[in-house]
Amino acid sequence: MDNQIVDLYLSNPKVKRDWEDFLTSLKITNFSANEVDQIDYTIGIYSGDDLVATGSVAGNVLKYIGVCNKGVTTGSRFNAIVSELVNRQFANHIYHLFVFTKLNYSDSFQHIGFSELAHSDEAAFLETGSPDVNDFLTDIPRVDDQSDKQVAGIVMNANPFTRGHRYLVEQAASQNDLVYVFVVNTDASLFTTEERFQLVKDGTVDLDNVIVVNGGDYMVSYATFPAYFLASPDQAVTYQTTLDARIFRNVIAPALNITTRYVGSEPLSRTTSIYNDVLTRELPPAVEVKVIDRDQTLTSDHQVITATQVRQFIKKGETSSLTAFVPETTAQFIQNHLTTLQKRIQEGMNIDGN
Amino acid sequence: MEIKETAVAGTLESSDIQIMISKATDGIQIDLQSDVEKQFGDQIRQVITKTLNDLDITAAKVKAVDKGALDCVIKARTIAAAQRASQTTDQPAWEVL
Repeated sequence: MDNQIVDLYLSNPKVKRDWEDFLTSLKITNFSANEVDQIDYTIGIYSGDDLVATGSVAGNVLKYIGVCNKGVTTGSRFNAIVSELVNRQFANHIYHLFVFTKLNYSDSFQHIGFSELAHSDEAAFLETGSPDVNDFLTDIPRVDDQSDKQVAGIVMNANPFTRGHRYLVEQAASQNDLVYVFVVNTDASLFTTEERFQLVKDGTVDLDNVIVVNGGDYMVSYATFPAYFLASPDQAVTYQTTLDARIFRNVIAPALNITTRYVGSEPLSRTTSIYNDVLTRELPPAVEVKVIDRDQTLTSDHQVITATQVRQFIKKGETSSLTAFVPETTAQFIQNHLTTLQKRIQEGMNIDGN
Repeated sequence: MEIKETAVAGTLESSDIQIMISKATDGIQIDLQSDVEKQFGDQIRQVITKTLNDLDITAAKVKAVDKGALDCVIKARTIAAAQRASQTTDQPAWEVL
């Protein structure tokens, strides 16, 4: 029967080899472990003994979609594969899906109900389902006459919220009528999303013109910027951050009238440093980028404040060193939850990343 | 009938239509994607709206991706999606068919 969809078990070496050979013939060649290991499941269509179409899912992202149209109506196998993946995700109550694809396939996805969030010269990023980006933007709190106000945005993981973060928010708050702080939504850090969000909220509660918002799937999330969470080559970082920056510039910023994006200077993390460069290249002139130097006078011995260092203190139990690095609210939280946090580190939570 | 969760019915294959229904505060909003939008867009929207009204659904967000479905298919997929979204699949709405 035509378009009979079967499960492909990549744990079987023969299946995996066929799958890689087929995708390679379609010029999809990145089979690095940190990409392939993310896959939840893979499906395919065979014609005789030959694999002629395949697609995979990792969380809420469709991956490794490849189709050969030889001898069939163009699009029929593609539609069958994507339908099946989408329906299986819906059956698992995942109603909001993303796909990263080469730019020339963007139209094929748009043809079956995906909408494009951003594209670069090589790649496109699309979403389908509900709630979509418009629902996300509608739910963000607004102030009166926002279109006449000077509005800025900051995106932070805040793992956890430090005096450095606080300084960045203060700078932005003093220079603008309104500041949105978007907290990274992906839950892949020592502090959970809920904890990070609450610590940012508590740490900025005295700043009246700051609104703390969950960044959802659109700002530095596993979907838009996986390299932030997984060690990746520079090229992958540049390519993902370009899309991330364009979503902010084209979709997020105009909806909220954001005209300035604040970032902290980044002497230590390579990934974040590339991200800052890409933002500076992509956002202007629509959105101005202000790089705020880390204020080393915040600590008595002029250290650079980083959340990475704070996590080291937690690991070693040096809570007395914390006060120079984090605001009272964060220090209090760490004191109260020290054993829980240390347990997470012992259980293998990586604390050296971002 | 009240929409309680997001639900979907149908596929993206030729002659079918995929209907996704989610909660809305008021009114029926339809986001339709179809190759024959120009010729049949109004007709497709009308079939979806009438089917939902017959099910006593007055507020819903509908996303429809049409691949050339006939009216009976559109109706069937809309009913299936609506019953799933309102968690009433155990009480089929025969009278609407």
